[in-house]
Amino acid sequence: MLSATSERSRRPEFRQIFWLWLGMTVLLVLFSLWVPARLMGPPASQTMRDVEETMTVFSVAASPVAALVWSVAAYSLLRWRDRSGGQPAEDGVPLRGNSVVTLSWVTVSSLLCVFLLIWGLAEMTTTNASAEATNPLVVDVTGQQWVWTFTYPDQGNVESDQLYLPLNRPVVFRVTSEDVIHSFWVVQMGIKVDANPGTVTKTSVRPDKLGVFDVRCAELCGLRHADMETSAHVVSPADFNGWITQNGGHV
Amino acid sequence: MIMKDSAATLDNEWRCAQSSIGHVDYGGGVIVRRVLLGGAAVVLGGVAVVALTGTILNRAGATPGTLRATVNGTAQTSQGVLPHAFLDLATYPDSMAGPHGSSGGAHPDWVTYGPVSNFSVPAHSLVTITIKQYDSGEKITNPYFAKVHGTVGGTVTVDGKTETQTDPDLIGHTFTIHGAPTNQDPLFVSVPLPAVADDAPTAPGSDYPAPHVVTFDIITGGPGEYIWNCEYPCGDGYYAKFGGPMATQGYMSGTFNVV
Repeated sequence: MLSATSERSRRPEFRQIFWLWLGMTVLLVLFSLWVPARLMGPPASQTMRDVEETMTVFSVAASPVAALVWSVAAYSLLRWRDRSGGQPAEDGVPLRGNSVVTLSWVTVSSLLCVFLLIWGLAEMTTTNASAEATNPLVVDVTGQQWVWTFTYPDQGNVESDQLYLPLNRPVVFRVTSEDVIHSFWVVQMGIKVDANPGTVTKTSVRPDKLGVFDVRCAELCGLRHADMETSAHVVSPADFNGWITQNGGHV
Repeated sequence: MIMKDSAATLDNEWRCAQSSIGHVDYGGGVIVRRVLLGGAAVVLGGVAVVALTGTILNRAGATPGTLRATVNGTAQTSQGVLPHAFLDLATYPDSMAGPHGSSGGAHPDWVTYGPVSNFSVPAHSLVTITIKQYDSGEKITNPYFAKVHGTVGGTVTVDGKTETQTDPDLIGHTFTIHGAPTNQDPLFVSVPLPAVADDAPTAPGSDYPAPHVVTFDIITGGPGEYIWNCEYPCGDGYYAKFGGPMATQGYMSGTFNVV
């Protein structure tokens, strides 16, 4: 246990670390509020908005923790550096027995983890619920080196190398692979699921914005992985039916 | 009493540490300069190592040359009169006749395209591509690639006969052009190449049976960088037959640049 004198001598340093931590926290919170949710472009589904909201909340929650680690590390590097130029001294005096710090740290960490767990489970439940919507459009997605193909089994097995979806209709993707593991990622719709050979994985979304969006492979899959991209076209239901008919299918 | 002594000792150590930090002249400027120079040296050294490694890998993986399409006159198309370019390719059951030399290079038993695997065609042109297909084959795993996509009229001619698809149980290879949907014009073309029969006799004066001759036309848009690869799993001996020549530049994959 340290004496009262040494405790007093540490207080200015604690104050400096506190202000450093507070400044970093403010900066990180501002960063969290603005940047993470804007990295993947304008959202094209409620799922993506939920993903962005989750990213923002998680980033804000992590800000004070990250700031504490970084502020102590930065302060230690700048102020407690050994400047002797020779052999550094042995380790400093160990700090033990501060039950207040230990209890606070464990409690705050636990509360944060439980909060993130509950938030994450709630968001996953919401996402999975959309897969059980009535009258979903089923799209079979096949990944192979290094292209995506899409088949519409309920529309006469229309096939395409680009994804066409009607606005505001729930879609269920049944995803598989012909070769190695790929990952089917519709960026602006906030869905991503592995494409595994020999099995089918599912994900779902309800696109609610007209436009052309990005479909990418998110699993390193070989020589041309970087080129394994295509486009997702969200069109009006009438235009979607027209596209299906034009390609030999039925609505 | 013991605890009191211990606390006093610790306090002394703490004071000593504080004292030594506060009063000794360490030549801080020298140390700062040393740290800055050391950091800069580490960063520059790292950059040099990465650049050197990238250069070596790039040269090692480079394929020999690019085949440029030959422009010969113009042609009437649905988009008006366009320059007419021609590109002649071949697919072989081994690497003895392609871009890897008569010895077959590092993998003489790998299937390969020829004469090279990087192609260049003119922008806003009609390009007629002819592929002599010398290899045998089997059932294709994804029947989508047994159909013709992206050619003029959605057709190909196979040995003079017009087709829109090939028997998915007898595919030798495919020639599939695609690329990331960046700012360049979209260009997706996929043509199935029918398999040569396993028991086909060797053609006179050749090391291979008589090939299937597949011809098709495409119309190019603006300049862009695309890739092509075979979508028939022909990497025998590798996982799902998608490894080896299917996953190595210079065999069943390459670049297709519109210039």
